[in-house]
Amino acid sequence: MRTSPLDARHRSLGAKMVPFGGWEMPLSYQHGTVSEHLKCRSDAVVFDVSHLGTVRVNGAKAKEGLQRAFTNDLEKIVPGRAQYTHLLDTDASVLDDIIVWWIDQETFDVMPNASNTSRVIDAISGHDTTESRAVLAVQGPQARQRVQTFSVDAATVPRFAVRRVNIFGTECVVAGTGYTGEDGIEIAAPISIAEKIFDSLLIAGVTPAGLGARDTLRLEAGLPLHGHELGPGITPLHAGLGWVVAWNKGDFRGRTALAAIRDAGLTRKLVGISTPGRRPPREGCVVSHLGNPIGTTTSGNFSPTLNHGIAFAFVDIKHVEPGTEVTIDVRGSDLAGAVVTTPFVKKRSG
Amino acid sequence: MNIPPDLKYTKDHEWVRLSGTTARIGITDYAQDALGDVVFVAVPHIGVAVSVGDSFSEVESTKSVSEIYAPLAGKVIAVNTALDGTPELMNSDPYGEGWLCDLEISDVLAADSLLDAAQYRALIGD
Repeated sequence: MRTSPLDARHRSLGAKMVPFGGWEMPLSYQHGTVSEHLKCRSDAVVFDVSHLGTVRVNGAKAKEGLQRAFTNDLEKIVPGRAQYTHLLDTDASVLDDIIVWWIDQETFDVMPNASNTSRVIDAISGHDTTESRAVLAVQGPQARQRVQTFSVDAATVPRFAVRRVNIFGTECVVAGTGYTGEDGIEIAAPISIAEKIFDSLLIAGVTPAGLGARDTLRLEAGLPLHGHELGPGITPLHAGLGWVVAWNKGDFRGRTALAAIRDAGLTRKLVGISTPGRRPPREGCVVSHLGNPIGTTTSGNFSPTLNHGIAFAFVDIKHVEPGTEVTIDVRGSDLAGAVVTTPFVKKRSG
Repeated sequence: MNIPPDLKYTKDHEWVRLSGTTARIGITDYAQDALGDVVFVAVPHIGVAVSVGDSFSEVESTKSVSEIYAPLAGKVIAVNTALDGTPELMNSDPYGEGWLCDLEISDVLAADSLLDAAQYRALIGD
């Protein structure tokens, strides 16, 4: 089991540690998942996401290689920007969903999910630099204000921008990205200053948050998780992420298979389902409409912001309209619910 | 870990507080800590008769679901309705405001087979 450069900090804070994608990472700290979740919506939290992979790809041919591997089009952005993209299998299944940090003209940091790092390296080559750094995601409406107490440069990296920033005299890469539906930044810092940055965030009043809150936050924000809403047998089109596929660029891995699926028409699609009660729907529950099974949930939980259940499910294409009444069979209890548009929790304006 | 000395315990991490033929039941501090934030409790139905080991309630957290097994045989005579709106009472006060239900027990002597505080402490390796 791999551990984060901040492992000692998590343990001294009393974190509950759990295995995740080959790493042992914090599930929650002293005050629990719901409290951490609400802090992220109202103030600022920090997640240690060092378990994400970082694959450095550089050189004159770097961009061309990524264009051929991934579904999105780097021509839509410029150096100094980040882009969400997919790596497909030859059958158009999503092998991984990835954030690409385009640092400068010929330098990219590709960030796969922890358990998918090796297959992404197989597809794009590049150097695995995961061991050399920690990644801290500082998220929430007060995130920038609190980071500003020790680094104005990091605090002011705009949304979806990527900058090399000096923090405590050491070069870091900072991006205006995240996975919570809130504003914030992610800091990739060399291990030598990871603890100092983490400590500075705590001193600035940022609450440490674990994987439990990370999951409920991304679910409320309508963001997919690989292994649940993305994976074998699921294409970006099924997941409602057609915008990630740039049809008007050249060839990319899985394109032929994906075009065939698009042309044949989808038979099922990912939807959000809202259940009015507190009982959480869970992954793998059968979804029915008027007594007939129409699909299966892929994630589900209690929404701390909304105070009721929310879920993602793949359902028959005939029943994807918002407002469609459904029931979710949770271990023999039928939870009434309805198809809704996602995100479940809308982003604050401004 | 808080393990009040005056209660009885089960290996499924429930506590029992006996007064006459009434047994108040809840989950232990260890159980609530392992579950994480409780967000929903399916309390038992009043009037239901249960045998030892019957699954008669479910506690759901942000992380997982846990079944609650009847520690003694008897009839459910009261349930903690405060858990409907504030299930987090199970986390904040597991031996008090976070109680689950009261059983009218049929065999008071059966409670002797439950664990005492020292045995329960040994069970969880505290």
